[in-house]
Amino acid sequence: MIDSLAKHYEIEKKAERLFKIRIDQNELLRTINFIGSSSNFMTLSQITCADWIEDEVFTLNYILTTEQRNKNLMIALDIPRDKSKLPTILHLFPQAEVMERDLHEMYGIDFIGNATLYDFALENWKEIPPLRREFDTLAYVNEQFEFRAGREDNKDVKAETKRRRAEAKKLKAKMEAKK
Amino acid sequence: MEEGFIDYQKVLDNEEHAIKSTQSVIQKAVDWFRSKSMFVLAYGTGCGAIEMPPTFTSRYDIERIGVVGVATPRQADILIVSGYCSYKTLKRVIRSYEQMNEPKYVIALGSCTINGGMYWDSYNTIKKLEDYIPVDMYVNGCMPRPEALIEGFVKLQANIKDAKREAGYIKYRENNAFYKTNQKKIFGDNIEPTYEANFVGMNQ
Amino acid sequence: MIENKENRVIKIFHGPQHPGITGNMSVELDLVGETIQKARTHVGYLHRGFEKLVERRTIIQAFTIVCRICVPEPDPNEENFARAIEGLAGIEISQRAKYIRVMVLEMARIGAQMLWMGGQSGSVGLGTVAQWSIYDRDLILDLFEELTGGRVYHMYIYPGGVRRELPDGFLDRLEQFLDYLEERLPKYDNIFFDNSTFKKRAIGVGVINQDEALKYGYVGQALRGCGIKRDVRKDNPYLVYDELDFDIPTFDGGDVYARALVRRQEIRESIKILRQVIKQMPTEGDIMQKIPKHRKFKIPKDDILVSSESARGEYNYYMAGDGSEKIRRMQVKGPSLIHGFTLLENMLKGEELSNVAMIMNSLGICPPEIER
Repeated sequence: MIDSLAKHYEIEKKAERLFKIRIDQNELLRTINFIGSSSNFMTLSQITCADWIEDEVFTLNYILTTEQRNKNLMIALDIPRDKSKLPTILHLFPQAEVMERDLHEMYGIDFIGNATLYDFALENWKEIPPLRREFDTLAYVNEQFEFRAGREDNKDVKAETKRRRAEAKKLKAKMEAKK
Repeated sequence: MEEGFIDYQKVLDNEEHAIKSTQSVIQKAVDWFRSKSMFVLAYGTGCGAIEMPPTFTSRYDIERIGVVGVATPRQADILIVSGYCSYKTLKRVIRSYEQMNEPKYVIALGSCTINGGMYWDSYNTIKKLEDYIPVDMYVNGCMPRPEALIEGFVKLQANIKDAKREAGYIKYRENNAFYKTNQKKIFGDNIEPTYEANFVGMNQ
Repeated sequence: MIENKENRVIKIFHGPQHPGITGNMSVELDLVGETIQKARTHVGYLHRGFEKLVERRTIIQAFTIVCRICVPEPDPNEENFARAIEGLAGIEISQRAKYIRVMVLEMARIGAQMLWMGGQSGSVGLGTVAQWSIYDRDLILDLFEELTGGRVYHMYIYPGGVRRELPDGFLDRLEQFLDYLEERLPKYDNIFFDNSTFKKRAIGVGVINQDEALKYGYVGQALRGCGIKRDVRKDNPYLVYDELDFDIPTFDGGDVYARALVRRQEIRESIKILRQVIKQMPTEGDIMQKIPKHRKFKIPKDDILVSSESARGEYNYYMAGDGSEKIRRMQVKGPSLIHGFTLLENMLKGEELSNVAMIMNSLGICPPEIER
């Protein structure tokens, strides 16, 4: 089955039962229809997304698995980071509904045809989608919350370790000199 | 006592900040009865909920000191906030706390309620629980052992029986503006839980 | 279904503060009388943004928070994380470390099934079973405390092997515990699995449509309770599962009772695996390979997918590195993502309100792994 797919796509073997192909974003529906009907990869297992801000793309991976659940196929495609949209595959796999909702909330990708793109894990979120690389979570936390004041005998860890190591070295040198 | 709000940690640790007991005989008896029958609201808000089944069942058996779980806030005396609170959970916790009848107490379980814990840089969890609802007892650890939770309950019993600390519900009633300001800062004006984004009407 | 529905539909939240819910999530139900017309799941109460936190941490800092993604059974998370980093960086671990990891995973699996038994029996009204099974699970937590130092969160499995050697006599104590547990199992049959109350409530309730099960991506006991035999340990084996001898139990019916019987049999299979591990564990071998230090452990620019079988089903990790010492992307997909949304919303149509807790417990929906 992998050999029959290899006639149409260039397959990279990543591990013993893990394969990967790369396609263009306009061929998504056609590829998934073709692979789903002509080979044994009949279930959608996961839709993942990684943010490569230096190349200005999101890389999505649609992970399909076989009926025997013994092989995985990753279909990788790149989409631009601003105003990203993709067609939905909800009509083929109902489980894609909640996965696309998750990615829409975390990255801001619009899936055309999916009417259930409301809140998944966040409520009344007013900032940019949080998993994008430009969202600085520490700056957001420092602006919204106040931490507890430290104890009065609080010392800086690095300065204290340096001081103790210097003292131990001095002590050791003294003991050597005494001998 | 100093004016305004003092740091809770110092209050809870320091014995000289304990209130001199001004209980009458009847009040002493009532407080003794209250301390021996504490009902806990059944709400597992976070990680700490995994150490509650061992505490409430036969091995560590907290029922021998009078603690039992109940289903609704109207019947409960104690709310255990077991771990971190995300924004969504905090709204429901505040709502449940306000529905409980006085006298009511809050136990904060785990280190995440003290200063954020290991989610100190997370955009969705709150860092100091006592800014939003008043806390009567902290039990730190990640997770605290069932024995630590039992010790927390025993100390809370002593506090209730001898009225050694000002109870949290009195603070919430009298300094409501302080708590509401903090809550409004992170929630905006709608502190009540909203489901508007995905609220399905009856005719759909 | 009823014709004139206006003014008869009420909406309730089987909500986060509820004694019959498995964790901190809510299900919004539209009811007519006591029959459910429509259900919708709400999650997000436990969202901590793990995937963002891990991007700011090096590997040894990330490994301390990864185990908190799934609260009842933290070990598959650590193991997947370690295996993904080893796959990216090209590290091979020793045979002894693999056997120790299998031992830890199977002990966690028995603990999770005991916890499930307490929850499922509580939802039906049989309170005694929870008192027994949580006690027996506590004996496993004692063994974990001796081995790793922590009862619930272990932080023991690290890329390169495991962190500490086994204490002296640990395998003997483990074997004593397995003997004790095997003696107790017929008593659980008497009180729970052969109980006519449980059978009357559970048989024929919560039935899964078998024709859609494989295509829609259901995993774990949802498949095995329909007679479909799938398990990652046999289909896509990892660690040393291909050298061990065990069965995958399946039962027909697709209802709550069939899934309960599958879990009952899985406890016995896990005990069988543990006995083989105790006998076959190699006595020599490094428990930890030599790996670069903290800030010098660079992950190559590549991505990988690893999967394992937790007590509830297939657990997937997708990890991508970018050449620095921090992880670029880690995406977690637990079994409850599909079960909590696609399966639950379809299954609850037409069910009674009093069966909701029982159905959710039998599917094993664990909210922290849905929303990380």
